[in-house]
Amino acid sequence: MRFARCVFPIAILAASLPMAAGRLQAFDDLPDAARPVEEVVDQFVDAALAAAKVTAAPAADDANFIRRATLDLAGRIPTTSEVQSYLQSSEADKKVRLIDRLLAAPDFVFHQRNEVDVMLMAGKGNGEWRDWLFAALEENRPWPELFREIMLPREESPAGKAAATFLKSRAANVDDMTNDTSRLFLGVSINCAKCHDHPLVPDWTQDHYFGMASFFNRTYLTKKNFLAEREDGNLKFRTTAGEEKQARLVFLTIGEIAESSLAQKSEAERQAAEEKQKADNDRETPPEPATFSRRAQLVDIALRPDASAFFPRAFVNRLWARLFGQGLVMPLDQMHSENKPSHPELLAWLARDAQAHNYDLKRLVRGLALSRAYGRTSRWEQPADRPSERLFAVAAVRPLTPMQFSLSLAIATANPVELSARLENGAEWASRRRDLENQAAGFAREIEIPGDHFQIGVGEALIFCNSGQFDGEYLRDSADRLVGVLKGIGDRNALIQTAFRSVLGREAQPEEMESVARYLAARDDRPVAAIQQFVWALVTDSEFRFNY
Amino acid sequence: MSHQFGSWCGSAEHGVNRRGFLGAAAFAGAGALAADMTVLSVLKEPVLAEEIKRQEKRVLLLWLAGGASQLETWDPKPGRPTGGPFRAIDTNVPGIRISELMPRLAQRQHHTAIVRSLNTKNADHGGGTELMETGRPREPGLVYPDLGAIVARELGRADSPVPDYVSMYTSTEGRHKGGPGFLGARYAPMFLDKGLAPENIRRLESISDLDHAARLELRSALAARFAQSRETSAIGSHNSAYGRVRGLMSSEKLFDISQEPAAMREKYGPTVFGEQVLVARRLIEAGVPFVKVARAWWDSHGQNFETHLELVSELDQVMSTLLDDLADRGLLEKTLVITLGEFGRTPQINPSLGRDHFAAAWSASLSGCGIKGGVVYGKTDDDGNKVIDGEVGAEALFATIFTALGINHQKNYFVGARPIPLTNPGTKPIPEVLA
Repeated sequence: MRFARCVFPIAILAASLPMAAGRLQAFDDLPDAARPVEEVVDQFVDAALAAAKVTAAPAADDANFIRRATLDLAGRIPTTSEVQSYLQSSEADKKVRLIDRLLAAPDFVFHQRNEVDVMLMAGKGNGEWRDWLFAALEENRPWPELFREIMLPREESPAGKAAATFLKSRAANVDDMTNDTSRLFLGVSINCAKCHDHPLVPDWTQDHYFGMASFFNRTYLTKKNFLAEREDGNLKFRTTAGEEKQARLVFLTIGEIAESSLAQKSEAERQAAEEKQKADNDRETPPEPATFSRRAQLVDIALRPDASAFFPRAFVNRLWARLFGQGLVMPLDQMHSENKPSHPELLAWLARDAQAHNYDLKRLVRGLALSRAYGRTSRWEQPADRPSERLFAVAAVRPLTPMQFSLSLAIATANPVELSARLENGAEWASRRRDLENQAAGFAREIEIPGDHFQIGVGEALIFCNSGQFDGEYLRDSADRLVGVLKGIGDRNALIQTAFRSVLGREAQPEEMESVARYLAARDDRPVAAIQQFVWALVTDSEFRFNY
Repeated sequence: MSHQFGSWCGSAEHGVNRRGFLGAAAFAGAGALAADMTVLSVLKEPVLAEEIKRQEKRVLLLWLAGGASQLETWDPKPGRPTGGPFRAIDTNVPGIRISELMPRLAQRQHHTAIVRSLNTKNADHGGGTELMETGRPREPGLVYPDLGAIVARELGRADSPVPDYVSMYTSTEGRHKGGPGFLGARYAPMFLDKGLAPENIRRLESISDLDHAARLELRSALAARFAQSRETSAIGSHNSAYGRVRGLMSSEKLFDISQEPAAMREKYGPTVFGEQVLVARRLIEAGVPFVKVARAWWDSHGQNFETHLELVSELDQVMSTLLDDLADRGLLEKTLVITLGEFGRTPQINPSLGRDHFAAAWSASLSGCGIKGGVVYGKTDDDGNKVIDGEVGAEALFATIFTALGINHQKNYFVGARPIPLTNPGTKPIPEVLA
């Protein structure tokens, strides 16, 4: 992936733009870098709880914890045998072993890939893009490298072509390229500053918006649908006062970036650049990168090692949000000086830690998952009102993503013994998982991607209630499915427990046993239908639908 | 959070809706009410009867996806360099002239108020659609509900067996899921994806009706246990989605136009749009408060005049049939019919004989409930380049729509503790078009 490019000394012209409240907060006295991640997490979360005089909820029980951890690290519910092993283990460090097992399993890569895919392409990427992401995450490729490959792809290679998907799907609109890059990689949605200075946030003026957009304005798609970048060209915009301005390169709150421009070059160089630009549009092969690539400058600036930089904080914030249900900065794309993190020193420490360890994803996930904050129950049983989510006093209830949901349905309704047998063999499981994901993709498309204020609409309920495809797929009476297995269990209580374990990953409570037993008994004349309806009620139960 | 309002009124058959219950309870003492902040405004409503009357109002939004040209519809400029080949015709309201492409509507102009002075500033599909669906510019961090969700919330009935918000479209470009935003998926549209009937609305043969209902109850019992000590609105929405299934299934026949006499179907015409508007009328008649029918694709960057010849003629036939039909059934005074899109089109004709996006001076129409028909509000200059009188934006249009429906456009919703009025403070409806 090496190519010749001009490396620009980054001269920052700080004077020309107001910098008052601009920078993200930096701290001098953070905990030592050698402290374990989970300890630092708990230190700051506990401190905030104490300051708010809130007592945290107790730890989640084992069945709850393995379900949550497996969903978050493997993107699926655990199998009956995985749950049993964990519950029955008496090892003192069984939690650590569980997390380490999950991190080492092929499921981890699949799940990370799915999450990053949805984040960057909202499910609209193709197979090559997804495969490229998989390969990158399988070798634990650091996030900055992924960012560089996505921003500066070389389409001659299949990998580069796949990586180009992010920009190419947005290249028709400079605002899409700008805002999506900014919010997904830098945690800043700067869109609102396009039409006028932000009314509340001094960080974001029109200069800032068009300054960011200027990193992308020379990028376009050629006639042959390759990504290309012109050697010159500037954005113009109109301020609310009606003044027309030419945009200069501005990287968020860091300030204006000095760049060599074509105007400073010799006549020969300018001529060459002009010819290249003309030829690029018609080339049958991908064009060479621009000699004065603004996008390359963007990457260099974004990845500067800096304690208060946006890039590492955005990385940490999104990962935190995935595991805890909400970020340290919320909304995720509003990281600016007026929007303080819930735990500012913690965010700073984690960002520094990520940078120091080259954005090692597994390391960070491990630390967060081992914290006490992550392991709390989601039940709030104190007389006081449920506390603000920002305190992490009690675990959040999070809807499953479409892929998690779809995969988990397939696993929950599979023959539990067959499933476990497959899982024993690592390589076979990886290929089985791949198949499962392909099959699950269809159903997953019917499910909405969770977002803020997520609500489930009646369309989903109608699918579960009345879709022949759903019934046929998950509830059919065959040897490879749960329904087929349950049919052969004579003892009613054993039948009920097997189903609860398989679908919900826990034992049925006495009242539940009673209700279900009554339901089944009333349908003695149609036992298979009754079992199917019982399993249906389990997979449509909210307990299955959410990660709690 | 379910209200046992049947027990308050004495009989479940009495059918007093949630609003009515809240109104009555205002006298009885509001202690029993849950933390629904909209109670604050309901307590100000004078009488129960007023509430019930408001419940009968409906909206039919004819969404002209892609942006219809105001010059080929409501604000023609014949003879001008920007006017194009079509002429203007008189209507049955002296002084009002519209495009010759709408001869039937011209004879029904007395039902309709035209707003010719929209200046909404946003001329791209995404932003314009968002603006004209919700009536306000997007605010980061806040997902504002669209018009359908708000009307479903304000005019819908909690116990209604029909959906509150149905959305249909003709082709992919017209599909915009819109959404209930912070109001929650309870108010999400029933979205007609394929053809005329909603998907998955019919019980499978493989399960009896009894079992279909019983397994829902079993589900509900299990889910209730889970929700204890974990109340979140997302879990709540999951449960309420399942709670509505049976009711929605029973509304299936509303979508079946073979139930209509052939003569009626002929009047609406054989096009998908015509059939969908007929379904919309059936839904309106059955009490669905908000139906949106999107017709795509008006985005005539090329061949503007051919496109509009086809689409406007269809609109003319379908909408005039609709107005007659609603009037005949006594529904027109209760139904607000809106034509609207994401923006209008440029007066300048481009080299492909097309018109491009244009949000600086365009039109919308309002007919029926609460509207003074036979009126034009606002004026554009001779070539249609800018508004010269009565300029209004999306918010004023929405304020007008809410007022026509008897909804207080300054009423507050609450997101957490933050009050969010339906339209921003200072917004005024257009009195000239209100009855």
